[in-house]
Amino acid sequence: MDYAWDFSAIVQYRGLLLVGLLNTFKLAAVCLVLGLAFGLPVGLMRYARSPWLNWPATAFVEVFRNTPVLVQIMWFFFAFPIISPFDINAFTAAALGLTLNTVAFSSEIYRAGIQSIAKGQWEAGKALGMTGKQQLTRVILPQALRRMIPAFMNRAIELVKMTSLASVIAYGELMHQAKTISTIAFNPIEMYTVVALIFFALIAPPALAVQRYEKSLERRG
Amino acid sequence: MGYDWDFAVVLRDFDLLLLGLLNTLKVTGLALLFGVPLGLVLALCRLYGNALIRWPVGLVIEFLRTTPPIAQLFWFFFALPILAGVEINPFEAAVLTFSLQSSAFFAEVFRGGIQSIERGQWEAAKAIGMTRNRALRRVILPQAVKRMIPAFLERAIELMKTTTLVGTISYADLLFRANQIAQSTYRALEVFTIAAAIYFVVIFACSLGVRLLETRMARSGESTAR
Repeated sequence: MDYAWDFSAIVQYRGLLLVGLLNTFKLAAVCLVLGLAFGLPVGLMRYARSPWLNWPATAFVEVFRNTPVLVQIMWFFFAFPIISPFDINAFTAAALGLTLNTVAFSSEIYRAGIQSIAKGQWEAGKALGMTGKQQLTRVILPQALRRMIPAFMNRAIELVKMTSLASVIAYGELMHQAKTISTIAFNPIEMYTVVALIFFALIAPPALAVQRYEKSLERRG
Repeated sequence: MGYDWDFAVVLRDFDLLLLGLLNTLKVTGLALLFGVPLGLVLALCRLYGNALIRWPVGLVIEFLRTTPPIAQLFWFFFALPILAGVEINPFEAAVLTFSLQSSAFFAEVFRGGIQSIERGQWEAAKAIGMTRNRALRRVILPQAVKRMIPAFLERAIELMKTTTLVGTISYADLLFRANQIAQSTYRALEVFTIAAAIYFVVIFACSLGVRLLETRMARSGESTAR
């Protein structure tokens, strides 16, 4: 392979890439915060004995876990605006799809985390005269959250990877900016290599850190 | 909401969607066919290779696992052909990307499965005079593979979801067909909803199957690897 690599165009258009990087972070941050915030109530609803709470939550989680994310994003971009009361741009469509997806997956993490706490902890809280809500917020969640940290970190990593899908609906995140630059500068080889390396540099360190942390948790038991 | 739903327009093109689904399954199936054996090879290299093999293989696995699939797909479709001087059509690029991408994930499943087997099994095999290769083939892998089945099927489902990306390089999968029909009928709401429903039916059925298998294996006392 005697291809002459030429990275000058990428240096020239670094401003565009930087904008893309910021947009990637913006989208990931918004979806992560909202996704984790709404994941807890949904996870709790799946615990509820009342079918009025349990069923909608279960249906929601199953639909979003069992359809491809890209389908969700495209649905919110192309289909939802037709019945939506407000305007939808690429960012809102991507944010809606990715947030709801994160809600569904994180609700399962909350559920599993809470289930992992021994029943005796609930009973002990009750014996002290705590209400159900107090037991949850003062006894169960503080212990459960610690166990959920690696799972949430993995979710966050997965989410950053998924933001690249927003390029399909032309939201100007990293991948889309790379696509734009490669069409202007005719440098798909360099551009797509560099963008893959950027993602690797962004995601590999936290991914390794989570793996380490998980191992240390296992050792501590 | 004063929107008039009209599914009839879309249902006329239903067979087109099904053809798309067939292509989705084709890419998924081929990626599995190549990705699984490759995953086993990668896992064995990472577990038992010397440093010269272990490190590069580990790097490749981590690279494939931590970069977005769409970046990989674009690289194989837009960059590789120029670099290698070969012609690659969307179908080949898709199969190549998803075989490699899933092999990295399968490698980790294999590794977890093999590592989950108690050391006593290795020792027992050694005690009856088996070489390491033979112990792996006859004692360790048969047990490990059994434990890996659920993790493995979940990965396959994940793979099917990821293949929706092939539409971005114009391979006519289900999502790509839906987009086409939406553009020709101006019925995006109905088309995308039906497409999502088709995906849901297929994927949810698979997920339920996996869950059933898991509970059955748990009941028969077989622990599963993750």
